[in-house]
Amino acid sequence: MPTDFPMNDPQNLWKNQPTEAFKMSAEQLRHKSQQRQNRARFEAVKSIIAGFAVCAFFAFAFTRTHEWIPRLGWAVLSLWGIYLAYQAYKWIWPARVSPDAAFNTTFQAYKNELEKQRDYVQHIWKRAGLTFCFLGIAIAVMPMVIKTFVAPHLLLNWLPVAVLLAVWFAVFLPTRRRRQQKLQQEIEELRTFERGSQA
Amino acid sequence: MTQDSLYEQAAETYGPALDRLARAYELDPEARRDLLQEIHFQLWSSFAYFDQRCSLRTWVYRVAHNIATGHVIRQSRLREKLVTIENIETIPGSDHIELAASRSQALERVSTLIQRLKPIDRQIIVSYLEDMDANSIGEITGLSPANVAMKIHRIKNILKRWFGEANRGEGKTDDSKTGAENSGEGGLHAN
Repeated sequence: MPTDFPMNDPQNLWKNQPTEAFKMSAEQLRHKSQQRQNRARFEAVKSIIAGFAVCAFFAFAFTRTHEWIPRLGWAVLSLWGIYLAYQAYKWIWPARVSPDAAFNTTFQAYKNELEKQRDYVQHIWKRAGLTFCFLGIAIAVMPMVIKTFVAPHLLLNWLPVAVLLAVWFAVFLPTRRRRQQKLQQEIEELRTFERGSQA
Repeated sequence: MTQDSLYEQAAETYGPALDRLARAYELDPEARRDLLQEIHFQLWSSFAYFDQRCSLRTWVYRVAHNIATGHVIRQSRLREKLVTIENIETIPGSDHIELAASRSQALERVSTLIQRLKPIDRQIIVSYLEDMDANSIGEITGLSPANVAMKIHRIKNILKRWFGEANRGEGKTDDSKTGAENSGEGGLHAN
């Protein structure tokens, strides 16, 4: 075993570990910046187009239906497509790089990041406009559901959809709540530590 | 100074430290390279706003830690398993660690310890290992120097236990070591 083995000096051990010389040229940095802007814009445009496609699909269904209740359902779903496009524009469209990364202390940045994640989980239902989506579906299928009152065997046609929906709800809601609770707990721990630090 | 020249200076001065910092947050070499690239890119971007309200060192470490912390937070499964320094200090039996046979094993042990920690504690231990004092760490993290000093005290205790144990083992094979070194007491840097 070497005699200069630095077991008693972790700082020396850490600072003398082999490192890789890494540096980006000004050209590379500008190229990366441009690339990132383009990618973010592409993602946003893709999501906006998807939203408008959803809107067009349900608008088409709207024009093909003559009963007013399903028409109302297709109209709500069509509006949901526009809402999706708006949300994509609002949240994905590339903005300037935020200077928060340097102005905030690491403790504040860590707390902000956790809060951002918690808010995302908390508002995912609203941001995806799932209320519009389920309301539209419910209105659109209402006449068909009413028909099953006189012909119960038609209910079997809806069984797979109902099962899938139930499974999705059973997984989505508890997972969302669990993630939210864990994030909140971590935020609370940080707040307690912050209060203790100020006291 | 321009954005480019500030980046040049930062990369020149803190390049190796940023590489070590990336190692503290990511074990996988490929992902680590991506993280390091991201840190450098964000650092360059941030210099558009550099107003010298804090030192270049503080700015560089804040950006680097914040980007790396974001990297950890996004891996929610991994994040949920992380512990605090206080947790590690109280884990029973953590002072019965086998002797590391080489420098790389010892380094691996330090890395393992760091990788288990929550971001704030990770920031403190990395800064401590980079030889910073409590005031400098406080400026980067936003914690009071007293709080940082308390954390550093715990970090030293853990490292002393881990490395002190190894020294006792080493002492069995190498009698030339001094008593202070073998006890693991005097070998740690005191800031």
